[in-house]
Amino acid sequence: MSFDSAINITGARQKRPSVLQKLVSRALARNLGCLIVPGPEIALAHGLDVTAAGMRTSTTPRDASVLMIVGELSEKMGDAVAVLYAQMPRPRAILIVGGQTPSTLPGADISAGLSQKGLTEAVVRLQRAFADGAFVASPEAFDADVLHAKIEYVCPMHPEIVEDEPGSCPKCGMDLVAREAGESTPDHDHEHQHHGHKHDHEHEHEHCHDQDHKGHHEHHHGHDHEHSNEHQQEHAHENAAAEYTCPMHPEIVRDEPGSCPKCGMDLVAREDAEDEGASEEGSGHGHNHQHSESDHHSEHEHSGHDHGEHDHGGHKHGGHDHGASGFMSMIEVTKDLPRSADGLQMDWLEVPFGPVFPGLPGGLKLTLTLDGDGVTEGQATSLAGMTIEVEEGEESEEIDVETFIDHLATAMPLAPVSYRLLACLAIEQAAGLNDDQATTQARNGGLERERIASHLGWLAQLGRQLGFAWLTQRASTLQLQVREANRYRLAELEPALRTLGTRLGRTPLLKSRLKDIGELSSEFSDLRGPLARAASEGGDAWARLWQRLAEITASLDLIKASSEPALPSLRDIGDLSGTGEVTVDTPRGEARLSLKLERGKVKSYKLDTPCSHHIDLVPKLVEGQELGDALLAVGSLDLSPWEVIS
Amino acid sequence: MTVASVLLALLGSTWLLAVIEGWMTTGRLSPAAPLFSGLAHLGRESILPRSPDRVFFEAAPVLLLVVGVLGMAVLPLAPDLIIADLGTGALFINAALAYVLVAVIMAGWGPDGAYAMIGGWRFLGQLIAYSMLIVMPITAVAMRAESLLNTAIVGSQAGLWNIVYQPLGFVLFFIAAMALAFRAPFDLPTAEGELGGGVDAEYTGVRLAVLRLARLTLVVTLASATTVFYLGGWHGPLLPPWAWSLVKTLAVAVSMLLVGHYLPRIREADLMRWCWILGIPLALVNIIVVGLLILVVP
Repeated sequence: MSFDSAINITGARQKRPSVLQKLVSRALARNLGCLIVPGPEIALAHGLDVTAAGMRTSTTPRDASVLMIVGELSEKMGDAVAVLYAQMPRPRAILIVGGQTPSTLPGADISAGLSQKGLTEAVVRLQRAFADGAFVASPEAFDADVLHAKIEYVCPMHPEIVEDEPGSCPKCGMDLVAREAGESTPDHDHEHQHHGHKHDHEHEHEHCHDQDHKGHHEHHHGHDHEHSNEHQQEHAHENAAAEYTCPMHPEIVRDEPGSCPKCGMDLVAREDAEDEGASEEGSGHGHNHQHSESDHHSEHEHSGHDHGEHDHGGHKHGGHDHGASGFMSMIEVTKDLPRSADGLQMDWLEVPFGPVFPGLPGGLKLTLTLDGDGVTEGQATSLAGMTIEVEEGEESEEIDVETFIDHLATAMPLAPVSYRLLACLAIEQAAGLNDDQATTQARNGGLERERIASHLGWLAQLGRQLGFAWLTQRASTLQLQVREANRYRLAELEPALRTLGTRLGRTPLLKSRLKDIGELSSEFSDLRGPLARAASEGGDAWARLWQRLAEITASLDLIKASSEPALPSLRDIGDLSGTGEVTVDTPRGEARLSLKLERGKVKSYKLDTPCSHHIDLVPKLVEGQELGDALLAVGSLDLSPWEVIS
Repeated sequence: MTVASVLLALLGSTWLLAVIEGWMTTGRLSPAAPLFSGLAHLGRESILPRSPDRVFFEAAPVLLLVVGVLGMAVLPLAPDLIIADLGTGALFINAALAYVLVAVIMAGWGPDGAYAMIGGWRFLGQLIAYSMLIVMPITAVAMRAESLLNTAIVGSQAGLWNIVYQPLGFVLFFIAAMALAFRAPFDLPTAEGELGGGVDAEYTGVRLAVLRLARLTLVVTLASATTVFYLGGWHGPLLPPWAWSLVKTLAVAVSMLLVGHYLPRIREADLMRWCWILGIPLALVNIIVVGLLILVVP
C-alpha cells in the first residue's frame, strides 16, 4: 500500500491494515468531522464552505477527526486549542488554513491557503490519507504544558498527608483522594461548600422552607441534633485521632472504618473524645435516628459521586472528602451559601464556555458561575483581541501605510472591509486629501455589502445557538453569496434576503425565545451600532434581530442607489505628514481611528472599537438569567472578540 | 420469526431515518452514509473521561437502546406481526419509555462533566412537562378501544382513524413524543449551542455509535406508537398491512425531524408552562370529548 509521504497523520496508532481496518479507514475518510477554530463564523467570513469542501462540521472535539485552524491564532487561543486537540479521539489530523501552527500543537498535517480552492484540495488530500490509513504512531503521546495539572493525593482526615500516588492514609487507613497540586489545603467551610452541592435538593428544600434560615441555629437547638453532630465532625477534621461509629447504632465504636455488625451500614468517622468536648450545642446527644439515617444517605450519595462538573468545567477544588464529614446535614452545608433566585441554596460552579463553543463567537471566553441551570454571575474575556503596541506619545517604529492597512484589516477577520476603509480614510485625512465622489460611493457600497454579510453571519450564529438548523443553513449560504457579490448579483439575491425577515417573523417559538432577553435600554451609554439603534425599540434580543434585518434591507437600498461595491484601496498620498481622525459605522457600531502621519508613514495611532465597550455589558446581561437565556443575551450582542482591544 | 421481522423493520426504519437526517443536514442523499458513519465510529478511539462513573457511563447508551427496542416489542406492525401482544400493551409502552429519563440522567451523570450534568438534570425538568401528555392522550385512545391491547387499539380505528376521531389527542401526543425523544426543538439535554452537546458531549467511538443508534431507534419507536395510537396502524388499501405500518411510521418520524429543522429550541420554562397551563387542560378536554363521543355515538 502506498503512503502519501507528504501526509502522515499524527496521533494514530500504527497497525497493519486488515480488510476490516481498510474498510474502517475508508469510512473514516468519508466521514471527516471538522472542528473549526476559532469558529465556523470565521470560516464563513473568509468565504470558506467546509461542507462544500467535503467535511462535516462538528460542534464538539469529541466528534471531530480534523482540527481546522483558520487564520492566525493568538497565544492564549493556542493554549485553548491544545486542550481541544487532546480531547479529540484518534486518529486525528490538524489542518491549518492560512496561518501558522500554534506552538502548543504538534504541527500541521496539512496546510492550505486561505481560499475555498485551497481548502478543497487539502480536504481531498486528507481524505486520501485517512483512506490509506497513512497513520504514523506519534513518537510520544500528545502532551502540552497546558494539559498538565499535577495530581496529588491527600487524606481527607489528615491534611498533612500528601502522596504522589493513590493509596491509603498511613494514619487512618482511609483512601486518599485526588486533588490538583498547587492548591492550598482548603479550609473546611470551603470544602463543605463544594461537598454539599446540589445532589440533595429535596432535603435542602424542605429545610429551607420549614425554617427561618437566618435563625435556625438559635431556634432549633431542640431538634437539630445533627447540627451539633456536624460540628463535632468538623472538629474531627482537625484532630488527628478519629473513631468510627454507626449512624444508627451509636454504641458501635471501632478504631478503623468498616461496616456495622448490627445493620451493615458503613461506619462513619467521628471525633474521639466526643462526649468530653460536648459543648452546649453538643449536649443534646440523643440522636434523632431518622435524621441521622437520612443524613447518612445523603453523605453516601456524595462520596459515591462527588465529582462531576468541577473537574471538567475547570472548576478546581480541593479533594473529594470521602466519608470524613459523617452526618452531613444539608442545612449545615448550605447555610452559608448564597441563595439563588428560587430560594434554594446550592453550590455554585464556575464553568467556562468557549473560547471554542458552538453557541458563542470563537475567541470569546465566557466564565459563568452556575447555580443549577441559572447564572449568578458571568465574565467575558476575549482571547483573540488585538493588543495595540503603538500607543500615542510612545517612541515607536514608523509603519508603512500599506502594511498598516493590511495589518488592521487582517486583525479584524469579521469586518475586514470596514477596518480597511477606516484606515484608508484616516490616512487620507491626515494627508489632507479631499473626498472624491466616485471613490466614496464605491467604498460605501463595499461597506454596506460587508454589513449585509456580517449580519447574515450573525443570523447563522443565532441559528447555531438556538439549534435552528434552517436559519443556519439559509443565512450561511446567503452570506457566502453576498460576500463578494456585485450589484447585479445582489439584485438577484434581494428577494431571498427580504423574505428572510418574513420567514423569521412567522417562525413559531422564536419570539418567545428572544423577547425580553438581554434587555439594554438607551440608558446604557456605551451602546453603538445596531445595539444603540435597537435600544429605543425595546432593546432586547428580539429588537436586535429586527434591527439587523432592517439594516440588511437598508444596506441593499443604499447599494442600489450607489455604484459598484469595491474594496477600499488607498489613494496616492505622497510623503505628507499630518493627523487624521475618522469614524466608520462598522457592522457592529462606530469605530474611531485617529493617527499621526509622518512623511508618509504611520507614526502612532489610536483605535476605538464598539466591541471593546460592548463586552463590558456581559456581566449585567447574564446575571440572574437561566443558562440558555444568558448565552442568548451574549450572542445577541454580536461581539467580535477580535475587535476587543486591550 | 416474528421477533426477527420486527427487529429488522426497526433497524430498516432507523437506517432510512438516518439517511434522511443526513440528507437534511448535508444536502446529499447517500444511502450508505449511516453505514459509513457507524464504521467510522468503530475506527475512532472510544475515550473514557478522566473520572467517570463507569457503570452509568457505559450503561446509559445501551439502556437507551434497550428502551427503544422494548417499546417496539409491544407495537403491532400487522395483526399477527407483534413480538408480545400484552394485555397492558398501551401501559407497557409508557412504562418502558420512563427509562429514557433514567438513561439520560445516567448519561449526564456518568462522564463527570458540567455540560453533561446540566443536560441530564434538564431532562428531569422536561419529563415533568411531557409525561402527563404521554399518558393522558393514551388514556383517551384506550377508552375508545375499550382495551389496552395495542392490536385492539388499531382494530378500533378500522372505520375512522384516531387522528380524525381525537385530533387534539394526536397533537398533544405528537408534541410530547418529540419532547420525550429530546429532538429539536426539545433538545434541551443535548443543546449544542448551550451545552456543547450536553449528555452526548463526552461520548466517542463505539459508545457514541450506540448512543446515536439508540436516539434514532427511540424516534422510530415513538413514531410507531403514534401510528398505532392515531394513524390506524396497519389499516390502508392495496399495500400489505406491515407496509402500511412502516410507511406511516416513517412519515411520522420524518415529520418529527422536519419540525425540529424549522424551529428554534424552546425555553425550558416555556415548555413547562405551556405543558401544564395549556397541555394538561387540553388533554382533559380531549378525554371528556372522547368520553362524550363514546356515549353519544354508538
